Amino acid sequence: MGADTLGKKNVRRYEFLEHTADVLFRAYGNNLSELFENSAEALESVMIDLTNVAPKDIKHVDLSSDTYENLLFDWLAAVLILFEVESFAIRRFNVNVKATSLTADCSGEKINSKKHKLKIEVKAVTYHELEIVKNGMYHVNVTLDV
Amino acid sequence: MKIMDLKKVNDFIWEIEKDPLVGMRVPGRIFLSKTLLNFLELGAIQQVTNVAKLPGIQKYSFAMPDVHTGYGFPIGGVAAFDIMEGIISPGGVGFDINCGTRLLATGLKLEEVYPRITELINKLYTSIPSGLGSKGSLKVSEKELDQVFINGAKWALRNGYGNESDLKHCESNGHLESGDPSKISTLAKKRGMPQLGSLGSGNHFVEVQYVAEIYNKDVAHTFGLWENQVCIMIHSGSRGAGHQICTDYLRAFQSAASKYNIQIPDKQLACVPADSTEANDYFSAMSSAANYAWTNRQMMSFWVREVFEREFNAKANVVYDVAHNIAKLEKHKIDGETKEVYVHRKGATRSFDKDPSYGIGQPVLIPGSMGTSSYVLCGTKDAMEMAFGSTCHGAGRVLSRKAAKHKLGSKEVMEELRQKNVFIKTGNISDIPEEAPEAYKPIDEVISVVNKLNLSEVVLKLKPIGVIKG
Repeated sequence: MGADTLGKKNVRRYEFLEHTADVLFRAYGNNLSELFENSAEALESVMIDLTNVAPKDIKHVDLSSDTYENLLFDWLAAVLILFEVESFAIRRFNVNVKATSLTADCSGEKINSKKHKLKIEVKAVTYHELEIVKNGMYHVNVTLDV
Repeated sequence: MKIMDLKKVNDFIWEIEKDPLVGMRVPGRIFLSKTLLNFLELGAIQQVTNVAKLPGIQKYSFAMPDVHTGYGFPIGGVAAFDIMEGIISPGGVGFDINCGTRLLATGLKLEEVYPRITELINKLYTSIPSGLGSKGSLKVSEKELDQVFINGAKWALRNGYGNESDLKHCESNGHLESGDPSKISTLAKKRGMPQLGSLGSGNHFVEVQYVAEIYNKDVAHTFGLWENQVCIMIHSGSRGAGHQICTDYLRAFQSAASKYNIQIPDKQLACVPADSTEANDYFSAMSSAANYAWTNRQMMSFWVREVFEREFNAKANVVYDVAHNIAKLEKHKIDGETKEVYVHRKGATRSFDKDPSYGIGQPVLIPGSMGTSSYVLCGTKDAMEMAFGSTCHGAGRVLSRKAAKHKLGSKEVMEELRQKNVFIKTGNISDIPEEAPEAYKPIDEVISVVNKLNLSEVVLKLKPIGVIKG
């Protein structure tokens, strides 16, 4: 088991698990909105050291899908695109999931190679064993191709 | 399924028996020696089994000796599907479409280059954009990029990045006819546009090597290779364009399983019937990404050549260029009949017994892990009969990136490489342990298995003297 990332009230938000070739994390949430926020932060933390990222600007994301898993895939893919195409690193996620749609405010800033430390290039989010499980809390395992 | 449940066919072939109760349509076959069997993960066995459940799969779900757990297909997986009854799966190719290896050979001897290796690597590092989020130095318009997707390495030639002989020595001549940019999303083009002509990061590299040992002089001679000769190996793929094309089609095919009533054991194995419009669209988009990757390696070859010409007044010829993440429409003999099939190779290399440019089996280029030996092999008839003309693609990981970082220090790994007389240059020193030799299986053992099975015949060994790690 990897290092836990604890949120307020010492609640586990996400953790990194062993995977031979790629990156695998498990995200948690008391509700779907939290699960989506924590998954996105886990992804962001793989790509960049978040300690220096300031929540200066806001990017808004609206998505609609047919299942929760597809919505999560689309959401993480959108976060990856903001990073790679718009060079926008996100420090704080505020997600609202309603039915199989979401609206999100992503607070962050433009990546600056002098200020920020890039970590790993994520090629893509995969669908490998992507299943949102509700067992009291919600959790999901996400594999990233790196 | 446990490792002890594998049925031993012979010393190097291990079978997962067909179990129709779990939905397997064919048995699985994993090519391993006893040593490599120790590295086999249960996850990889499960993934070979999952692929065996897909409609229209032919003969076996294969895994090469460098197999390890991936996502959907195992890394090292090979599967062929009937073009009428079968499927096409973006997950069977992976995100880095046409990730592959190219070898250039110079007319220089080791002793001419080695004294200047630090300087040479620094010059190559300046000439070839590499590392996290690397962008190419050339700005192409969307219209030009479409031409790259259509024409592959031919585009590079037309724009002055090479010569006819380069294309002759590429798998599929560096170009798939089926490329069609109208099947690619705007986003994939947006990701691909700034990155054309860049190495990328992770396990991608440009390595200066020399021919250290020759096992088959005649074949080496035919490939234009000789002892102590300095060569350059490039390992790279289709960058963000390929990643996005796979993402788009994987997403689109999620609903196809129910539309076409295909049972899939993992969402990453999402697929569509091979004769459907969706399959044709994906194949065109995938071919476009493959064309992008060939162009990419061709452009990097050009910059490598510029440096060698400037520094040593030396030329560098393309020996060959192979894809190891790709789906190909190929003809193979199945049950005595020649059939057209979609062969998916995910972390596996084509190993055809006939190459028109050399008149013998094709060169097969197998990179070792950073700082270890790489190999040139030759395609065989046995590979055609045994595994749809396929062989291994590298060493195969054994330590996760996380475990490697935890276990090994950057400075120690660099020092260890320096002691082996390998000079390394990278923009991100903290990533070094992830690609350390200890993070991979022993390449020599992988090569020994494919050689003993005759999936490809070993021709020579290359040793590195300098590496640019992406």
